[in-house]
Amino acid sequence: MKTAASAMSPEQARVRRIRRERRNRIVRHAVLLAWTGFIAFPIYWMVMTSFKDSGEWVTWPPHWVPHAPTLHNYAQIFAFSSIDPSLSRQAAEQAFTIWKGLGDSLLVCTTAALLALLLGTFLAYSISRFNVGGKYFRHTILTIRMIPPIVIAISILIYYAILIPYATGAVFGARISMFDTYIGLILIYTVTTLPFVIWMMLTFIDEVPYTLEHAARLMGAGRFTVIRRVVLPLVASGMVVTFLFVFILNWAEFLLALTLTHPEVTTLTVLLNKFQSASEGRLYGPQAAIGTMITIPVVVLGILIQKHLVKGFSFGTIRR
Amino acid sequence: MARISIKDLQKTFGAHRAVDGISLEIRDGEFLIIVGPSGCGKTTTLNMISGLERPTGGQIVIGDTLVNDLEPGERGLGMVFQDLALFPHMTVFENIAFGLRVKKMPDAEVRRRVAAAAAAVHIEALLEKFPRQCSGGESQRVALARTIVTDPSVFLMDEPLSSLDAKLRVDMRTELKSLHHRLGATFVYVTHDQAEAMTMADRIVVMSKGRIEQVGSPLDIYNRPATRFVAGFFGMPTMNFVEGAVVASGDRRSFRADDVEHPLPAAVPAALAGREAVLGVRSEHVLVGDGASLKGVAQLSEPLGDTTLVHFDIGKGRRLVAKVGPTAAIEPGEALTFQFAAEFCHLFDVHNGARLY
Repeated sequence: MKTAASAMSPEQARVRRIRRERRNRIVRHAVLLAWTGFIAFPIYWMVMTSFKDSGEWVTWPPHWVPHAPTLHNYAQIFAFSSIDPSLSRQAAEQAFTIWKGLGDSLLVCTTAALLALLLGTFLAYSISRFNVGGKYFRHTILTIRMIPPIVIAISILIYYAILIPYATGAVFGARISMFDTYIGLILIYTVTTLPFVIWMMLTFIDEVPYTLEHAARLMGAGRFTVIRRVVLPLVASGMVVTFLFVFILNWAEFLLALTLTHPEVTTLTVLLNKFQSASEGRLYGPQAAIGTMITIPVVVLGILIQKHLVKGFSFGTIRR
Repeated sequence: MARISIKDLQKTFGAHRAVDGISLEIRDGEFLIIVGPSGCGKTTTLNMISGLERPTGGQIVIGDTLVNDLEPGERGLGMVFQDLALFPHMTVFENIAFGLRVKKMPDAEVRRRVAAAAAAVHIEALLEKFPRQCSGGESQRVALARTIVTDPSVFLMDEPLSSLDAKLRVDMRTELKSLHHRLGATFVYVTHDQAEAMTMADRIVVMSKGRIEQVGSPLDIYNRPATRFVAGFFGMPTMNFVEGAVVASGDRRSFRADDVEHPLPAAVPAALAGREAVLGVRSEHVLVGDGASLKGVAQLSEPLGDTTLVHFDIGKGRRLVAKVGPTAAIEPGEALTFQFAAEFCHLFDVHNGARLY
């Protein structure tokens, strides 16, 4: 029995195929465009709001672009201008903390990312070269990331705020709390991002041929020299990518920072939340301005990563 | 002193015995080639000498030092790897200088020695390039220079020519041999290519299944293979084998395989009479035509230019190869007569392949 397709002339079949491909392409792009709009709209709205004066924050019908664009919100969060007398004392104090939030975020995120990178690279090396933990250890490590942060947040809080102070008080006679400290937040960020670092660095280190290390060792280099002079230079671009990736994760982290700090250590994401719950009404303008400022480094780093990813993943250029 | 003495060396990976108790004396300054099919344990043996693998059992003595527990860098060896293992992020100069830098040699001395090593293998012009900018042959020389520069008393080479094309490989053979002469160092070279082994070695070690089959000079191994495996491994085309038995009539001995009977030299011991055996004859010792009594039918003829290989059938699916002169015109399907050059016949045990005569 002849099928419908075989009954068609080759020319008809060709025209049909071209039409089908064109239709698929249009549908695909329509879906992607709609999704992009859906994702980008809140960012668009945030950026627009950051340039609106207080009268325009909530209007109906909405102002898609500011009718009277102003840099007032930015001046306020960076405290370039004198404080708006219309703001209450509490709101004014909050408005000043952008610098503190920025400083805290940079300090915590950078230190945690560097620490995770350092530990993760050596761990990945040992897993790649000595099969530490057995055959499936590399997969086991990733499962740690399946635990939602909310599950560990409370137990870590109990550790930081109760168990550790109690334990140090009993042993050393001085209560040392990890709650609301830089070290506390840096440690938890290091721990939560370590699986990513190990996983990413594994892919890069696996690419470095064993024989390069063998050659170096035969020439008298010790293990550490081999790592420093041969392995690390070859995975350097991978380390940059990994660092940026982890930095962005930390930068955008909210839940653990909210749970484990207050009021001393204030990262930007936590600061943003404070604006929202301010008792003095909602300061949408400055909030949007801070939101925009938080987003800019992520976008910039994202673009940088893209450039390095190409280099990182075209790693097979090593002559085998 | 760069004598290497290996005693009962063993290496097991799980249940697999990669090297199964080998003993070997490598003489000072000799070019020793370990040859065998892949998986025979030759690279594992080399890696144990270099220190990259720890032996499961046995001893390795270099000079007068037991090196079992020494780090690779402490053994005074140089090694060229199959994939060359040049550091892709360093220039050729830094690649060659690496071993000297690790030893914290003063910069002026490093420059002097790198220049000398580069001159020895004619790559002075490449020093500022990166390995990816070098051709296969150039990379090969860089790898050699990197090994020469540390002035090792023993060079270990793990199939260093396998990545080169056929023509370059032949050129590099000559060059390696002359390098060996100039340096006077001990070369231990691993390959699966019997032609490389034949052309370069002072002595050849043939390995199979983790054991040594034979140690000897290239001609020794070619002319008097100790086992059927060695006989089959060396020589192109592969030696002809015919299964049958040794028969004696009076004081003359001959080999019989069904309808084929062929006289054996008088030196074949009488004790072998009546024993099952495998007769081995190289293709150049199969004489076709002119007064020969055995019959075959030509199947295929392969002209090589200087000689021609004739594959022919002698019944029951048994095929032999003869090397004949380039002018001999033998067409497929043509009947021919042949005999063996009796003085070049080898006899091997049917079961363990050991040489009987």
